[in-house]
Amino acid sequence: MNLEVNRDIYSDSVISKVVYWLSGNYAVERKLNGNTEIMNITSIKDEPIDEKTLHHKVFQMLNDQKLRNIIEDETNDIRTILFAKAFADFDDLTEEDLTE
Amino acid sequence: MRKYTLLPFNFTRISGKEVLVNELGDMIIADNGTVRKIIDHTLDDKELYKSLVANFFISEETIPTLLDIYASRLRAKKDFLDQRTALHIFVLTLRCNQNCTYCQASSQEEFSSHCSMTFDTMEASVRLMFKSPSHYLTMEFQGGEPSLMPDLMKFGIERAEEINKTEKRNLTYVLCTNCRRLTAELLAICKQYHVLISTSLDGPAFIHNKDRGRDDSYEKTIAGITKAREVLGQDAVSVLMTTSELSLDYPNEIVDEYVNDGFHDIFLRALNPYGLAAQNNDWNKYNDRFIEFYKKAFEHILSINKQGTFFRENYASIILRKMLTPFTTGFVDLQSPAGTVNSVLVYNYDGYVYASDESRMLAEIYDYTFRLGNVHDKYENIVYGKKVRNMAKVWANEALAGCADCALKQFCGADPVRHHSTQGDMYGFRPTSLVCKKNKAIIEYLISLIITRGEEVLPIFRSWLR
Repeated sequence: MNLEVNRDIYSDSVISKVVYWLSGNYAVERKLNGNTEIMNITSIKDEPIDEKTLHHKVFQMLNDQKLRNIIEDETNDIRTILFAKAFADFDDLTEEDLTE
Repeated sequence: MRKYTLLPFNFTRISGKEVLVNELGDMIIADNGTVRKIIDHTLDDKELYKSLVANFFISEETIPTLLDIYASRLRAKKDFLDQRTALHIFVLTLRCNQNCTYCQASSQEEFSSHCSMTFDTMEASVRLMFKSPSHYLTMEFQGGEPSLMPDLMKFGIERAEEINKTEKRNLTYVLCTNCRRLTAELLAICKQYHVLISTSLDGPAFIHNKDRGRDDSYEKTIAGITKAREVLGQDAVSVLMTTSELSLDYPNEIVDEYVNDGFHDIFLRALNPYGLAAQNNDWNKYNDRFIEFYKKAFEHILSINKQGTFFRENYASIILRKMLTPFTTGFVDLQSPAGTVNSVLVYNYDGYVYASDESRMLAEIYDYTFRLGNVHDKYENIVYGKKVRNMAKVWANEALAGCADCALKQFCGADPVRHHSTQGDMYGFRPTSLVCKKNKAIIEYLISLIITRGEEVLPIFRSWLR
């Protein structure tokens, strides 16, 4: 089956992450035509594809992954600060290290 | 509601709800569409807003005033890394006096003349164990059947006690035995040094005897448990079950056996693809059936608890501790960074050090990928060597494809050894990973219980965590 995905709405990163999870059961061929990505999906287990169900599933995955990517982009800096505060061994640093 | 910024969190969909999980593993269960509203700043539920702020999902300041507390809690969630390698497994011999149908350790005949550890290897292994900076050291004796080597076990304990006069660590000893040969001599050693007994009980006699390949295995195990309890105390004996193909049809019977034998918990443990068990020809099917088995057994356990009997499922308890408390656990299979090396090292009968129990099992099929060095090597060359550095690239699920975007990663772990074994690649491919499938199914099941039957199950879950 073919699915058309608007790249202005869903980025390459979002689509790639969805394709990663689909690839356990499906072979996905991707082609870019302007701003539209065409995904050709075939079952790797030679099982028939329920197109309506898969269409719904893929777009649910795309929408969820898009939300995750937005959160990740918006919180990247604070996450870095958080992990640095949690795990950097500040106690081992000297005054000299901190003023360098 | 005030202007806010997002803090790192992820979400998934379970039982018709959105389950939001932050970096600490704290969960908020909300209606569908909530994440979109949070991102779009169109939240209209004041109570939810307060909860999101209080639980570090959003912040009213660009840098939260309580960031230090958040960081400190995050560090506590990974404090097993500070504790360093605490579990040290000593494989005394591959000789065994049982014929388990799914033996994962490639055991040998009882009277085989090889595959046993020398006293020299034990001496070097104990010295190596004390190089670990951990304040807590557990010496776990495994096999084969380690009770066939009482002198070697005693020697190892005595060496540890001697060295510990100056090291002052907290030592714990565990003997993993099938209980067929708990002699007076062996029990005297156990009593003297407070050695805990960990044994295997797969369920009622017809399951246990079939799995263990002997008609008298159940009878001997129960007799051994009784004897060990008499000498060492009721709580000095714990049991583990392994879910064979036969077990899959008897979840309630297995749980009832444990209750009837006076145990207060059970670890519903799936088979691992090592040794004889690796010959199973359809792991996908086994995995699916195990998940169904787990849920049926778990429902039965809940019903026993509702009738007033405390009885805990240990795998769920490990996950629930990560989910419902600020603490982590020392369970090596559900850690990120992985428990291999960080929490466990194995000193094998062959004189080599391995990254985990499963790693030494792989060596029996001539796969030495996780052989880290010899017991006579320097500790630093073993735990900071090239092999461990390569494993370190793939042992944190925060940085693995498929895991990094998974909302459940805080409750799960990385398992490079299993992925190497089953997929030929330490990195692993999550869409077909059976570890991923099993863990995800169980974690989602527990969360679905909290969502749909919270009032009924949460008091039981909390009682398990006390």
